[in-house]
Amino acid sequence: MRATAKIFWILAVFFLIVAVAYALLTGRYEPMGLEPVGFPALLALTGLSVMIAMATSLAAKKNDLGASDELDGEVSDDAGVQGSFSPYSWAPLWASIGGALCFLGVAAGWWIFAFGVMFAIYGILTWVMEFSVGQHAH
Amino acid sequence: MSIETTAAPSTSVVGRFQEERPTKLGTQIFQLLTTTDHKLIGKMYMGMAFAFFAFGGLLALGIRTELWEPGLQVVVSKDQYNQLFTMHGTIMLLMFGTPLFNGFANYLVPLQIGAVDMAFPRLNMFAFWLTLFGSLIVVSGFLTPQGAASFGWFAYAPLSDTTFSPGLGGDLWVFGLALQGFGTILGSVNFITTILCMRMPGMTMFRMPIFTWNTLITAVLVLMAFPPLASALLALGADRRFEANIFDPANGGPVLWQHLFWFFGHPEVYVLALPFFGIASEIIPVFSRKPIFGYKTLVGATISIAALSVTVWAHHMYTTGAVMLDFFAFMTMLIAVPTGVKFFNWVGTMWRGSLTFETPMLFTLGFLTTFIFGGLTGVILSSPVLNFHISDTYFVVAHFHYVMAGTVIFEMFAGFYFWWPKMFGYKLSEGIGKLHFWLMTIGFHMTFLIQHWLGVDGAPRRYVNYLHEDGFDWMNQISTVGAFIMGISTLPFLLNVVLTHIKGKKIEVDDPWGYGASLEWATSCPPPRHNFHSLPRIRSERPAFDLHHPEVALQDHMLAEEPAANPRTN
Repeated sequence: MRATAKIFWILAVFFLIVAVAYALLTGRYEPMGLEPVGFPALLALTGLSVMIAMATSLAAKKNDLGASDELDGEVSDDAGVQGSFSPYSWAPLWASIGGALCFLGVAAGWWIFAFGVMFAIYGILTWVMEFSVGQHAH
Repeated sequence: MSIETTAAPSTSVVGRFQEERPTKLGTQIFQLLTTTDHKLIGKMYMGMAFAFFAFGGLLALGIRTELWEPGLQVVVSKDQYNQLFTMHGTIMLLMFGTPLFNGFANYLVPLQIGAVDMAFPRLNMFAFWLTLFGSLIVVSGFLTPQGAASFGWFAYAPLSDTTFSPGLGGDLWVFGLALQGFGTILGSVNFITTILCMRMPGMTMFRMPIFTWNTLITAVLVLMAFPPLASALLALGADRRFEANIFDPANGGPVLWQHLFWFFGHPEVYVLALPFFGIASEIIPVFSRKPIFGYKTLVGATISIAALSVTVWAHHMYTTGAVMLDFFAFMTMLIAVPTGVKFFNWVGTMWRGSLTFETPMLFTLGFLTTFIFGGLTGVILSSPVLNFHISDTYFVVAHFHYVMAGTVIFEMFAGFYFWWPKMFGYKLSEGIGKLHFWLMTIGFHMTFLIQHWLGVDGAPRRYVNYLHEDGFDWMNQISTVGAFIMGISTLPFLLNVVLTHIKGKKIEVDDPWGYGASLEWATSCPPPRHNFHSLPRIRSERPAFDLHHPEVALQDHMLAEEPAANPRTN
């Protein structure tokens, strides 16, 4: 995680330098004084890199990430529960059929959109509730 | 369902327990529709990508046949020809190349970092369905009365609005691509989370296999590039369906579209290239019997390529006269430096190694050859003074087929031959594989090399017709013959797959190549449902090699302790 954060800090600085250089170089020729597409895009890239860098360094500080960053980590260090993994699930299929019909509906006709919404609602509810056993039951 | 691992001994067990594959058809269909297993999803991605590769290839053969001689032979109208090249480009980039990256990465990343599955198994499946359904929506344009989208795969405004390109095909293209773009974004979120959070103990960032590194960097690149595409496509969709006039020429819309599109389009080229560089970086060390040369510089080069690739988008827009040439020419030429570093590393890995030329290695060498050609013409195209003369000619077509088609296709087959034993438990036949390689290499270079001269002589891309007086006939004919040789070269591969699965001998060992380096070679072929029955200890960037050749690891360790005893330096 620390290595990742470092890489993204470097990227952020790089994109900031490129953005400023680009703004200064193109600014002279632009009627608005600033090139209105590329400059904001490069700034957004800087922001994205800063965000990932901060998120990963915070995550590294707050959480116990196991032995994956230790040079002499042993397999037994992380023995135990690895997390919850769905063995199989219908939810992705229904949700994606919903999404696909909605997009198709906007392109081809609104009546398809209505069917898309139905599939999407069913898919999302299945997805969220799939492993729920009730609010207070554990 | 919770999954537990126990402390595992670091020995390889041959012929381990294997999970039964379901034999009943109903169970198999159920499994395909509901699976959350990253390996099966990876295979489904690869199958989908290969099907679209075949379809896009057939469209390409249609284009090449049309160009055999002046006049209209294959298509009945010029618009049909436009549909052919538009869909060929769209399919090959977004329905073949990108899902193929998702396929290889899905299959390999959890295996290479010692994880039980992807971080979000259901999201993984959701991303696959979005990609598949989006792609089907796009190609369903062929079934509509006016045909599929015909405005070129980069859909320049105002050509792509309803005045110049009416019809349902264009709408389906826009919304289908937006949908499958979301699939790609979600897939990348999954890769990043998996690689950052689910590495096994001792698998530090700088011990990850290069392929996993490249997947991580590619996924980040997807997050930078695909949201602009999604927003541009939805805006174009609003223009087409609701007359939003966002890309109206009266407001400078055409240049805005080109900026947004290429802000996606150029990084997309690297989304296609980087994972396949990763495959090359996995294959070369195995068949050179040496560790990868310059691991950290290779990672650094990949990061530099990715960072530079988002700052060069407007080199596709030199001829608009609306962009700053010096800036983009400089940044574009800079990319040649980290790419050169990569070549240096690959050649350095082979240097003084004991090379053998199995099919995966042959295909990788084929990739190196095509990519160096494509890279050189890339430097030519990055220079504005040269670009103005050859922009939108066949020179550009030749260039990007050498760069992208060469990389993706050669490395796809290299990866298939290399990991087929891991994925299915059978090794593909070497003899047929070599026939496949030579047919494809001859076909590829015959098709695309001549197109450089075609372009320099002034043949514009995307024109359905030409005159005898242009003198393009013989060059087009060479190219067309090459294209058919390349098309036919796929048949030995399919034959190879069928024969292998009928007559092949089941692989009993973990590492059929003998010198596999990364962690996927430390589990059975094919791996069990949650990948590993036992995990080795990770002490270097090639854990499987250390596991299977402990004497070499021990020797390295002793030399590190006592450099004076090194017979090679004394």
